[in-house]
Amino acid sequence: MAEGIGSGVILNLAKVSKSFGGLMAVNYVNLSVRKGELRALIGPNGAGKTTLLNLITGIHTATSGKVLFKGEDITRLSPDRISRKGISRTLQVTSLFPGLTVYDNVWAAVQSRKTFFNPFVRAERWADVREKTEAMLELTGLSGKAQTVCSELSYGDQRILEMGIALSTEPDLLLLDEPTAGLSTQESIGLVKRMRALLSGRTILLVEHDMGVVMELSDRITVLHYGEVLAEGSPSEIMESEEVRKVYLGT
Amino acid sequence: MTEILVWVLFAISFDLIFGYTGLLSFGQALFFGLGGYAVAIPILKLGAGTGTGLLLSVLIPALFAVIVGYFSVKLSGIHFVIITIIFALIGSTLGETWAWLTGGADGLVFTAPPIELGFFQLDPADIKSTYYLVLTVTALSYLFLSRLVRSPLGKVFVAIRENEERARLIGYDVQFHKLLSFVIAGGLSGLAGGLYTVALKYASATFLHWSISGHAVVYAIVGGGGTLIGPVLGAGLIMSLEHYLVNLLQATDLVVGAVLVSMLLFAPRGIIGILQGRRK
Repeated sequence: MAEGIGSGVILNLAKVSKSFGGLMAVNYVNLSVRKGELRALIGPNGAGKTTLLNLITGIHTATSGKVLFKGEDITRLSPDRISRKGISRTLQVTSLFPGLTVYDNVWAAVQSRKTFFNPFVRAERWADVREKTEAMLELTGLSGKAQTVCSELSYGDQRILEMGIALSTEPDLLLLDEPTAGLSTQESIGLVKRMRALLSGRTILLVEHDMGVVMELSDRITVLHYGEVLAEGSPSEIMESEEVRKVYLGT
Repeated sequence: MTEILVWVLFAISFDLIFGYTGLLSFGQALFFGLGGYAVAIPILKLGAGTGTGLLLSVLIPALFAVIVGYFSVKLSGIHFVIITIIFALIGSTLGETWAWLTGGADGLVFTAPPIELGFFQLDPADIKSTYYLVLTVTALSYLFLSRLVRSPLGKVFVAIRENEERARLIGYDVQFHKLLSFVIAGGLSGLAGGLYTVALKYASATFLHWSISGHAVVYAIVGGGGTLIGPVLGAGLIMSLEHYLVNLLQATDLVVGAVLVSMLLFAPRGIIGILQGRRK
């Protein structure tokens, strides 16, 4: 175990930095996420929020510092290995299997948690995968659209489906990158309603621009500014912070 | 007809890597040509049997596919296409240069010994026997592939084709699965080359030329990639077309090209796409 990890901490970033050429996208970030909390990560455009998620999921590798997940160093693991450790995520630009049905999209994710050696077994024979797939369709409210080709879904449904896929790998930590991006206010409200049922009881790190959504969903908020942690606290503490108002809330 | 069946096998093996895994490989000719030599050289120089030769025509190309694939699957998109062409070019150049082994462009002419199957004998010298041999092997390969693409492994291939990044984020080792698909496709392309050589009683460095891969690309696109039956129909249609046209005019390639272009423009999902569209 690394030092400084309190009980219940599932994700710990220790002095994590990432530079692209001369640009410090993430600078000396310390961040701890506790099991069961919904942590929001906010900050102006270019604050390094998505880069931070990329460092946690192995899409980028930190220039310095360490990413610890459940006490284990995952800083240099590949995205598929990290996924198998129990971190899952959605992307800012929806990332699905566009030509497959909704059902097959979820199936592919559920199936990933099974090891298979026999290439000739018919996939449909796997009753447990089928049950989990159907349960996830139920949970996302997409059962009625199971046979729809995913690219024909409405944008809101695609966002929900992506969360369903991410959750189908049974992660211990879920990262959401701007789930309401590209949605109207009305649609955002609808999405947040559907997210509540889907996300309750899970550990989540949420990157979001819409402050309404952040205030409604999060337990704690971390504010990033120019790749550095500017503030951290409960939603009300963050709303009242003079510093945060200055750089972010613009009042 | 025997020849059509060989190209059907070649086309469906290509479709595994192209239609299902989403990788446009122009390197299949390398495995096709190697499959041919894997039959011809052991028979000529080591006195091996035809059955052994055909077995080697799967294993040796598959082994080469491991090596070629190891480097190629690290690249994606157009870079993957180009590196597979380069590997095929290296293969055909070596094939032409090492004439002591391969017979160069003139090729190796040989007599395939009869295959003993216990109760009966299959003699490749007999055209009918060869036809049944090729028919059986192609049909079995078709069944093998149709099981494979419906299996969990097949679902991973399709997931990679649809969205590599998403496949990786849900925990699939994308490069490993691409390599696996490449090796299986390589082995079966080799088998097609092996059968072709047995039917023609002749192996040549020209089989290694990357343009041979183009046949499979055309069949898969015209028939409809990502379905196994599509490339079968594509191979059948194009080969029949060529067969009838060859007596009428010289420029059969021009007609095939025109068919290919019009399919790409008006029916990007091939014959299968047209048939499915009708049903709806």
